[in-house]
Amino acid sequence: MADLVLRLYIAGRTAAAERAIRNLEQIIQEAYGDERPCQLEVIDILERPQLAENERILATPVVVKELPPPVRRVVGDLSEREKVLIGLDLQES
Amino acid sequence: MVPSTESSTVARRARQDGRGQTANPAATTGIAGLDFVLEGGLPAGQPTLLRGGPGTGKTAIALTFFCSGLQRGEPSVLVTFDESPEALIRHAEALGFPLRRLIDEGAGRLLDMRPDRSELVTGQVVELTALLTRIGHALDQLGAKRLVVDAIDGMDESFGGGNSLRAELTRVFDWMRERDATTLITAGEHSDFAGRFGLEDYIADCVILLKQEVRDRRMTRLLRVLKRRGGGHGTNEFPFLLDENGVFLAPVTGARLEARPSDDRHTTGIAGLDRMLGDGGPYRGSAVMFSGQSGTGKTSFAAAFAAAACDAGDKVLYLSFEESTAELARNQRSVGLDLERHMAPGGSGRLILEPLLAVELGWEEHLLRVMQAAQAHRPAVLVLDPASALSDRADDRLGKEMLLRLFYMLKRDGVTVVATELLPDHSEGVSRMDVSSIIDVWIKLRRDEESGQLRRLLNVVKARGLPTSDRVCEFRLGYDGVTIDANRAEVAGG
Repeated sequence: MADLVLRLYIAGRTAAAERAIRNLEQIIQEAYGDERPCQLEVIDILERPQLAENERILATPVVVKELPPPVRRVVGDLSEREKVLIGLDLQES
Repeated sequence: MVPSTESSTVARRARQDGRGQTANPAATTGIAGLDFVLEGGLPAGQPTLLRGGPGTGKTAIALTFFCSGLQRGEPSVLVTFDESPEALIRHAEALGFPLRRLIDEGAGRLLDMRPDRSELVTGQVVELTALLTRIGHALDQLGAKRLVVDAIDGMDESFGGGNSLRAELTRVFDWMRERDATTLITAGEHSDFAGRFGLEDYIADCVILLKQEVRDRRMTRLLRVLKRRGGGHGTNEFPFLLDENGVFLAPVTGARLEARPSDDRHTTGIAGLDRMLGDGGPYRGSAVMFSGQSGTGKTSFAAAFAAAACDAGDKVLYLSFEESTAELARNQRSVGLDLERHMAPGGSGRLILEPLLAVELGWEEHLLRVMQAAQAHRPAVLVLDPASALSDRADDRLGKEMLLRLFYMLKRDGVTVVATELLPDHSEGVSRMDVSSIIDVWIKLRRDEESGQLRRLLNVVKARGLPTSDRVCEFRLGYDGVTIDANRAEVAGG
């Protein structure tokens, strides 16, 4: 399986942002363990507003799957595991 | 940021009108008539909501605010939730604003906030901080104080419209006030977005409603200011035009007469009529009306007046509601009047003939087109032939009021108005237009068929400030134009 590249955009360290980070890390860990290399970058748009503009971010938190294609996005605190996997077009191993 | 002299003048006036309190300064909308209705413009540094159904002209007004600001050199940001930036650029260009160039020059920015339909939402909490961050970033980079948010109801789709959205929206509007940006937000009627989230009642400082009304199968666009915090506003509905010339809203209420009375006089172009008015025609800037039944030669009088004014070097705008340009020129040629010598190309160009055929338009639109033409050409003399075409079609008193306002507006600008009025045959010579209060010189024409021969008669009903003949005179329409035989007076009334 190809390497996974995820970007999680947050707007400050809000409770929802912290939950989203935790939930996402847990979902990936449970789905792939150490079998699939995963690059997860957390971007705070308050520090880098131009990135929010470039990516046309409307709501946060939002996770964007950059690789492998197709690019997919899921908004919210990522509390629903199944929905996140479907939304990002990921199969469990 | 240097406001134009014009906008700062209206802003100052708005402040003076603010009943004792310090009214906020106003930001011009780029639409003179709307600024007038808003007593200067949008409340500066505050959010205004512009609401209306599809096709009512929300985006056109928003784009006018945006583009006219850019043209004055004020950096501005536009956020779109519905149309693509490309579609908005084309829309603005159709209204006559070179938006693509203005954006390339760097003073304006379009932020694309259309929802990504493939995006999935999980969990309850959605924050609008990103949106504010993007807007704030753009405002900061440009140093912009003007913001347009087009189709904010598009958020409904992006954010699922949950309860948290209301709190978030309140936060957005508070943030806009803190940013001190004059903000115009448009919202459609889609699932009552503005009502559900209390935009009108609680959040916006100024609310403008747009709607379309179809009467007699004719569509009229209407605008109403619902509220304006910290300033007065008109509560009437105002008809407006939306076409390739942009948005045109006539400054119709609060008309005050400011015309500088002139001692200069026109000639009517008919020697006998000048004699009846004390050897000289009406004063410049006055309103002249020729009333008569059909076939009394009203148009010939108006055309003779127009040609004489052109001869004297004046610019004349002749609005013909019944005859095309070619018909008018031909028909007047047949009674010895050459209008073409003043028409471009070939002539002096001082006579501008515009046919405005009355069939297609609602009367509000009609009057607005007259005002628009008058403002575009700035004539010394404006001919309305027949002006009754404007008022006859109004189904209520509004038509007459609008016509009066048109006369007021023209007189205020010092334009001489020459109107003809078609009297129905059964009217017995009584004017139905009810505008006599504003008419300075009123000439009545009629036919007399009783003595077995058609005779045309005329008399001066009134002529303010002029010594006038109280006689009824006979006149002829011949190959050499209108001839008045002032000696052959007829005393008996008809």
